[in-house]
Amino acid sequence: MAKITIDNKEVECRDGITVLQAALEAGWDIPHYCYHPGLSIVASCRLCLMEMQMPHPKTGEMDWAPKLLPSCQTPVKDGMVVRFNSETVKKNQRDCMEFFLLNHPLDCPVCDQAGECYLQDYSYRFGRAESRMVDQKTVNPKKDIGPRPLLYSDRCVICSRCVRFTREISGTFELHVTQRGSRSEIDVFPGRPLDNPVQGNVVDICPVGALLDKDFLFKKRAWEFRPANSICPGCARGCSIRIDQDEDVVYRLKPRYNPKVNDWWICDEGRFGYKYIHDESRVKGPILRRGQSVTRLLWEEIPDILRFRFQEHVEKHGGDKVAAVLSPFMACEEAWLLGRFIREMAPQAALAMGPVPLEDEDQRFPVGAKGEAVKFEISKEKCPNRRGVEAILEQAGGTVLAFEDFIEKAGADAFSAAWIVGGYPKPWLEKAVAKKLSGKSELLVVQDIFPNDLMAEATFVLPACSWAEREGCFMNIDGLIQPFDWAIHPPDGVKRDGQYLFEIAGYTGLYSGKRVRELMAATMPAFAEVLAAPQLAAHAH
Amino acid sequence: MSWKAIDRISPVIEKDAPPLLSEVVRGKIRSFFPRYETKRAALLPALHIVQDALGHVPYQAMVEIAELLEIHPSDVLDTVSFYTHFWTHPKGERVITVCRSISCEVMGGAGVLEELKKQLSIGEHETTPDGRYSLVTEECLAGCDHAPCLLINEKLHKRVRPQDVAKILADQDNDRLDVPRSTLFDAREEGEAPAAAKQQSTFMEGRGTKE
Repeated sequence: MAKITIDNKEVECRDGITVLQAALEAGWDIPHYCYHPGLSIVASCRLCLMEMQMPHPKTGEMDWAPKLLPSCQTPVKDGMVVRFNSETVKKNQRDCMEFFLLNHPLDCPVCDQAGECYLQDYSYRFGRAESRMVDQKTVNPKKDIGPRPLLYSDRCVICSRCVRFTREISGTFELHVTQRGSRSEIDVFPGRPLDNPVQGNVVDICPVGALLDKDFLFKKRAWEFRPANSICPGCARGCSIRIDQDEDVVYRLKPRYNPKVNDWWICDEGRFGYKYIHDESRVKGPILRRGQSVTRLLWEEIPDILRFRFQEHVEKHGGDKVAAVLSPFMACEEAWLLGRFIREMAPQAALAMGPVPLEDEDQRFPVGAKGEAVKFEISKEKCPNRRGVEAILEQAGGTVLAFEDFIEKAGADAFSAAWIVGGYPKPWLEKAVAKKLSGKSELLVVQDIFPNDLMAEATFVLPACSWAEREGCFMNIDGLIQPFDWAIHPPDGVKRDGQYLFEIAGYTGLYSGKRVRELMAATMPAFAEVLAAPQLAAHAH
Repeated sequence: MSWKAIDRISPVIEKDAPPLLSEVVRGKIRSFFPRYETKRAALLPALHIVQDALGHVPYQAMVEIAELLEIHPSDVLDTVSFYTHFWTHPKGERVITVCRSISCEVMGGAGVLEELKKQLSIGEHETTPDGRYSLVTEECLAGCDHAPCLLINEKLHKRVRPQDVAKILADQDNDRLDVPRSTLFDAREEGEAPAAAKQQSTFMEGRGTKE
């Protein structure tokens, strides 16, 4: 621990960090563009300059150095004295801001970044109210640089964060600074567009409105969102994300800093993979089927009817004829509630784990990196909670089957009552499998987000919610348990899985992840305290 | 509507175009590899060699250099566009470079530039229709004590006044250097004559040539 003095206040900071980092961590809002904690340091924006005390060359006494020094590039040292609140520093910030805004088009009313723009924020805090520029502004062109982002060169401040991202994080090197000095522009090599699996991040790290997402272009103003903190369900890594929604429509996903998993990044697959949640073809309401007749059920009736039907079935056919397939898309709490309900009805019941969608291999960035050098990883396992559900199945004990074994057994008429949970964003039940399972169960509950082949013969069809509508926790591939909040309400007629499973499992009142985790903690202490990654202050990166 | 984005996605290089860099040029570039720890470091010599051989560095040449050096073409374009010395499009036989920096500006450099534009009937970054002259401006020619100055290829003309421009342009030897040219970056076939506009500076001569 080094002790340094910033603006006459003593600050304890970690060793090996820079003054800017120490000041940001201690709560100072020091303006900066080029500095990003995840990227190398170039000290090119000159906005974070500070005054520092140094020994006077003649007298040896400590005195303020005659020139300003970049705080982002100066490592902390015990006993260091710096200040940001002096007139010299403030004048530099004012002057720098004036230069940054010299050629800026000031088109905030039509700019997507408005509201979350460092140029706006810093201009307001550190800049001047009016421009003294009398000459014609240089207007740099807009450039179509790739399938996802669009580059507005006229708004760019040449902080080079995006260039460093492609060189240091994605390792794909598509971006560069073309020309130099006042003519600098961000560019790609013509015909070699910015096209990699993590390109969406350049939009996030752009402190101004220069790099914008084509998918989000002109869709919404940033201040209209009511965001929720969530975990990406795209793969087993479980990156921390923020769901930006307004009036139950999700407009975009943004990464949230989490040093344990994803740092500042997420992949495009996760970022744009949420579209299915607004699909029209989703299962709309609970259904009860008796022979040919189909009844729409009220949610209030469901717990009693289901419990009654399962009890009746167990009495008639015995408990070992009951099976449930849990999905790796369920939250831990939901899986636990369903497991508990099934085992309460029939202690000998078999529990199984649904299929785990797998791709060929993990993707690591920078491209080609190994071991320590890996900065970001996309798992080949395309579901968020395989490990969580496995942990719950393990704790539940009794008969636990792999999905293949379940199909095998079900095909051999081993089960006459089954509860099958889907929730996969893509079709998951193969035709052959569905055919094998078809006609085997007298009592079949199918809980899924999209219609599947088994629904036509299911006794009960329960709509499932997407992760954005649910609350709970996922266990990622490294065994880290992370909570996520619901961001939007489920569509009309659909109830949160957690809530109805809570009621079906015999509890009353409102479901909340925390409440269920307290119940789970009795047998699984890991769930006693599940904490989200700490929130960062504004302008922390 | 002014809302128009430049297309940077469509390729600019013809597919299946024959290679632009000859084996001699490639060999010359490779000969620089052992001097450095990484192949990337040979980028500047490579660009000099290519510009020497082709007169300019077109996009296709950048891609071929990138392949040789095992870097992304974007990195090559970064460097090419940083140095005004490198041309991405064909240039005239002689390149006139006028300083636009402070010393020359206060000593009347702008007047010289205006006169040049008038005499040549071209603007900045343009080439005369006969391909004889190209005109560019440059930040500083390191000749502040002789301001205003201009370069014709590698020959520095000092203390130029607007009325001198016609005389300089009329001089056939206005680009002749007083010292011999370096052959450090030459990649010519045996017996091939040096092409026009292949004047190279002597600044690298004697440096890094240790065998």
